[in-house]
Amino acid sequence: MNTQNKQTALSADLNNFIYGVSRRNFQNAPELTKIGISLLRNFPAARDAVLEYFAMVFHDAVNVSINQTDYESDSSANGSLESVSMIGPELCSMGESWAPFIAPWCITLIMDIATEKSNLPNATLQNTEPVRVLLDITTQNLTLLNAEERAKCIDMMLDCRACSWAVGWVGRAEPALVAPRALALGADAARAVLAHLANHPPALYHVRAALVDLFQEAIKEDSKADKKRDVIPYLLNLASKSDIVLKALTQDIALTLTDEVMDRLCVVCATHRHSGAWEGVGPASLVALLLRSDVHCFLLLLKHAQRNVFCRQLLEYLLQKVEYESLFPDSNLPLVMSAAEEINIVREKLLTGNQLEQYSIARILILVCYNLPSEFVSTISYLLQCARSDTTLALLVRVVSGALAMHSPADGPDVHADVERYQNLINTGVEYALRDAMMADTQIKKCFVEGTGTKDEKTYLHHFCLNIVKLLRWERSGVRCAWAARAVAARVGRVGAALRARAALLRERPPATAAALADMPTCHALAQVLDNVDLTGTKSAPPSVEVILKVIQATVQYFFRCLHETDIMAKIRGVQTASRLLRKLCLHSKLARAVALRDLLETAMFREDKVFGSRSDVTNNVASPKDWNGEELLIYMNQKHGPITQLTQSHTSVFHAGIIGKGVRKRSDAGRGAPPVLALDNELLMGALMACMDGNSGIVEGSTSISLLLVELVSPDVMYNGLPWPDEDFTKQVSIERELYMRSAVERCGVSRAALRRTARARPALCLSSALLRAAAASLLHRAHRHTQSAEMVRELAALVELLSVMTLGQLLPHPLSHILELAPELTPSEIVQVLRDCIWNYTRDHVPSPALFSCDSTGLHWRDPSTCKPPPTYTDTLRMIIQKRISKLGHMYPIMFLNLEKDS
Amino acid sequence: MSLSDLKHTLRKLEFPACAKEALIKIEQLLVGRAAPTSKQLDIAMDVISEFVFCETDRRGNRRGLNPLQELQLIDIICDYLSACTNDTTKNTIFLSLFGGMENQRKLKVLSILASMAVSASSTPVLLAVGVWLQQMGCSSQQSLQLVENVIKDHFFLNTSNQLALKSLATTAPQFVSNFITAVTELYMHDLQKAKKMPPKNLLEVITSWVYSNPSLCMSAQLNPAALPSGSIPMAAVTPLAGLIHWCALAPLYIDDDTEMEEIPIKKIKLEDEKPSIVKSLPSKALSESELYIKLHLGVLHSLRAGRRTHGPPTAVNAQHLAALTPLVQAYAHQLLKFGVKLQSETKLQDCLDRIGQAVQVALANGCVYGNISNLLAALDTLPENRLLRIIIKSHQQSI
Repeated sequence: MNTQNKQTALSADLNNFIYGVSRRNFQNAPELTKIGISLLRNFPAARDAVLEYFAMVFHDAVNVSINQTDYESDSSANGSLESVSMIGPELCSMGESWAPFIAPWCITLIMDIATEKSNLPNATLQNTEPVRVLLDITTQNLTLLNAEERAKCIDMMLDCRACSWAVGWVGRAEPALVAPRALALGADAARAVLAHLANHPPALYHVRAALVDLFQEAIKEDSKADKKRDVIPYLLNLASKSDIVLKALTQDIALTLTDEVMDRLCVVCATHRHSGAWEGVGPASLVALLLRSDVHCFLLLLKHAQRNVFCRQLLEYLLQKVEYESLFPDSNLPLVMSAAEEINIVREKLLTGNQLEQYSIARILILVCYNLPSEFVSTISYLLQCARSDTTLALLVRVVSGALAMHSPADGPDVHADVERYQNLINTGVEYALRDAMMADTQIKKCFVEGTGTKDEKTYLHHFCLNIVKLLRWERSGVRCAWAARAVAARVGRVGAALRARAALLRERPPATAAALADMPTCHALAQVLDNVDLTGTKSAPPSVEVILKVIQATVQYFFRCLHETDIMAKIRGVQTASRLLRKLCLHSKLARAVALRDLLETAMFREDKVFGSRSDVTNNVASPKDWNGEELLIYMNQKHGPITQLTQSHTSVFHAGIIGKGVRKRSDAGRGAPPVLALDNELLMGALMACMDGNSGIVEGSTSISLLLVELVSPDVMYNGLPWPDEDFTKQVSIERELYMRSAVERCGVSRAALRRTARARPALCLSSALLRAAAASLLHRAHRHTQSAEMVRELAALVELLSVMTLGQLLPHPLSHILELAPELTPSEIVQVLRDCIWNYTRDHVPSPALFSCDSTGLHWRDPSTCKPPPTYTDTLRMIIQKRISKLGHMYPIMFLNLEKDS
Repeated sequence: MSLSDLKHTLRKLEFPACAKEALIKIEQLLVGRAAPTSKQLDIAMDVISEFVFCETDRRGNRRGLNPLQELQLIDIICDYLSACTNDTTKNTIFLSLFGGMENQRKLKVLSILASMAVSASSTPVLLAVGVWLQQMGCSSQQSLQLVENVIKDHFFLNTSNQLALKSLATTAPQFVSNFITAVTELYMHDLQKAKKMPPKNLLEVITSWVYSNPSLCMSAQLNPAALPSGSIPMAAVTPLAGLIHWCALAPLYIDDDTEMEEIPIKKIKLEDEKPSIVKSLPSKALSESELYIKLHLGVLHSLRAGRRTHGPPTAVNAQHLAALTPLVQAYAHQLLKFGVKLQSETKLQDCLDRIGQAVQVALANGCVYGNISNLLAALDTLPENRLLRIIIKSHQQSI
């Protein structure tokens, strides 16, 4: 019964199918397709017929979908299309045993369709639904075939010219089979197949393998040389037509063209060079290929150009061609682009290569830089950081000037804009180099970890600086345009900041980095850079205030770091550099000068005072600080006593004499005199100060600000007290505490004393520190007669001598009074007090030491004419009497002091 | 009716119709009380060539049928054969349609027809094909090709119809018998070439056929075909000798390793799944070697059924059996080369045992024809086996 049913069902199916098919109408295609599928399943022998019908359906469906322009129409409305969508999954899932029937059928069908529709664009055809289904079926079934059958199928397809796209598509499943077979075709056909194949990334590998195999086969040494004569020209020809082939051939070219291969290739070339096929691949076409290839080929060519004359010629040809091509706008040469992509390798080669390589790469780099400003910047940055020799630095110059030259055609309308744009790029490059060098210093490097650090122990920043300095020197000596100088000048603030960061004492020094190396060499180098920069603003825009301030601060910091140098030569050189820098900076900017002076003095007096032998003015050496409660503190107790103790500087008095209950303050510095003024460091500092004041009338102005600064730094509260000296009594009652403090502050600080001397020389400037002189005089008045012990006396006397010498030098004491200096050592304390009060204090009180006293002469020199400012006898009588009284000892001074005076008058 | 008239009438019709009409005309020409004259035969062949298979058109140009037309033709032939009531008529027409030896095109159509008949279990067609096989000789090139095509269709491409196939043994035993005979020619035939083993599903079906119908193997001989008058009936060859070959050689050819692969994947046990208390009977399909054992048993049964009460034995040719010996000897030589002891080699001994059993049953039931003493002499050259030794000795005495 069962079989009977089956039989009838089968014959009904068969009848329906035969009847339906014979009508040649695709309206009922879906039903027939269903029947066909069931026939395939139950009646495998009918497969030929069913597949034939399916082929008809596919043909029709392709026609329908090509003509179906509007997308609105529902694809399932058409019988053929619907059938196709049924057939697709069915034939894909028939299984292994069916594949030998289905695969050839598919391929024949594809070939038929492709041949029939060869006038249509491939893309259109490929995108139609039926063709996609068909390709799927083919791919699916091909994978189920065994190797032999598969190869047969693929050969079948390759024979058909019209369906290279189909081969490419289907071949994705079996690239290893397709690729070598495709290469056996003519160049055009192979190109088409490979192009389609390469849309599938994994297939690329096989394409490459096939190409390389073919190549290796071609150069193998055996008897069939004649047969393989045309392989290499064929490959080159193919590459010239197909990017994919070129890419596949040139990928990892260094692995393909090893030295042995090259040797063999030379032999092959020599044998076949004159045969027909080889004529077509002369240098011109090789250069055209190389232009399209990547930079690794270029590097390989460079390598071989060393030995091989032909390669050298080819290289030159190529370079000329590239340069020529690059002149056209929008030239997108793959070689140049690839060089830009692999810029790291290229640059490294630039550093390490031999001369030919270096020069050739520089030429390529010029083009890269010309095309890509970002690479221009990074190349500059890289070379500035990594160049270690003159050669490489020269290459940088070459690259930059080459790129500049390419960019600024002399007759362009916007030459200046262009030049400026490029200058900006260079500036950025320098900035990046600096930044990167600084960053590199903070990075942990292998060589430091392993302890195999660079022999020269130079930081990256140091190298950068050396390079910059070298460049700047070259530019100064040569006639080249000063792009480096301009760039550094434009970024001088950064350099300043770098120097400042380097010179800072409190700096992070992570281990195993270049930052852990000694600071000073780098600082010196940075200072050298700054030293070599032109900051006058004549060639480019003058640096901004902010930049100047940065550089000044950095320089001052550097100056003080130099003072700590143990190597005397380095120290002097550094200090000189700093001074030169200060001079350069201050010459054109009063602001710079003010800042520099203040910075120098302040640092010298407070932060770096130890260097100059100064002692901190207040040392509390009383043992064991006690836990004072509020009421006990002297400051509060003093506050209760009324206004007099709340005067200026009164807080300092707390410590001045000691602590109540603990006795007099111990003088730790007892026995030690005031620090010497004439010390090396002091002189260097003075030199730096003087450097700041270079230029016309700079010294007077500078000294003026120094003296104002001294007052401010020693005791800011007297800054605005003015120049006059008050009554002696007033000082005794009101300001003696302050005067004492000020005197000791000045005395302890060699710097301030030296500075005072310097100001005294620049005539009216000393007037402005009259507060300091006043303080010294007042304290001397107060203390000179009290001290009887010789040590104390000696000190007081020394102070007196110094005061007198400064005042005399500053022309605050006119003629007869100026000689007190010589008398002073011989006077007794009481005489000193007399002289101080009557001759000096009173005179200065009555003749306020103000710049108005000094007249300016034609040379711009300020001075006080001794003839016009003869002190009245009131101020000299005391002196005269003292000399007369002690004529035996002081007599020799009398004529000098008084007789001439009278003669003059 | 003359040839030209006949052609004239037929030419008025388009392809499917003309074929149908032609078949009727051929029947009229060939089937009668007396054997057809040679002229009639020629006319019939001419008509067949032009109107059935459309090999030539009226001007004698070559043309052919596309696959769809072939299918139409097959449908027509099938219809005709099924409708035919007289076996002789049917066989006559069938043999004249497909009797030509060389025509590949016809053979292809015949293959499709046979395959379709198997698919549809169409008994009349199958019987006709069985007769054709017998007349052509089961081991002829054409028969082998046909059988190969059928196997490809039904054991490779369509593997879902095993049940229907198994039932063929009852509906068309003559066809099945001849079919098996041809199949045994296809597989395990030569040691020199790569060992070509029958696919497992084919083996399964054959085993089931032979095992369930002991008389099957003899059916072609027992039911002589109804042939057109005047033709020479070809002797039917039973598949028994071939099957004995298979069973005997199977232990030598089957690798144990390949058997291992067929272990089904274990089901993942779900956690809450309780092991079923009633264990289902192991319905595991028999392995290949087990199938051969079963087939061997089936063959032995068939041999017993092959005993003929009268007339000479026809079931197994002694020469055919003797052809086993070189194959076994070659295998034994190989073993010796590797230094294996033949007495302890289970595979070889298994093979020899089976040969011994088959020979003994066949001889005892008087199924063997041909030169029996030659057979015994050949068996005597085989490696040492106790059973075989006894059998040879006893039968040599009896001759």
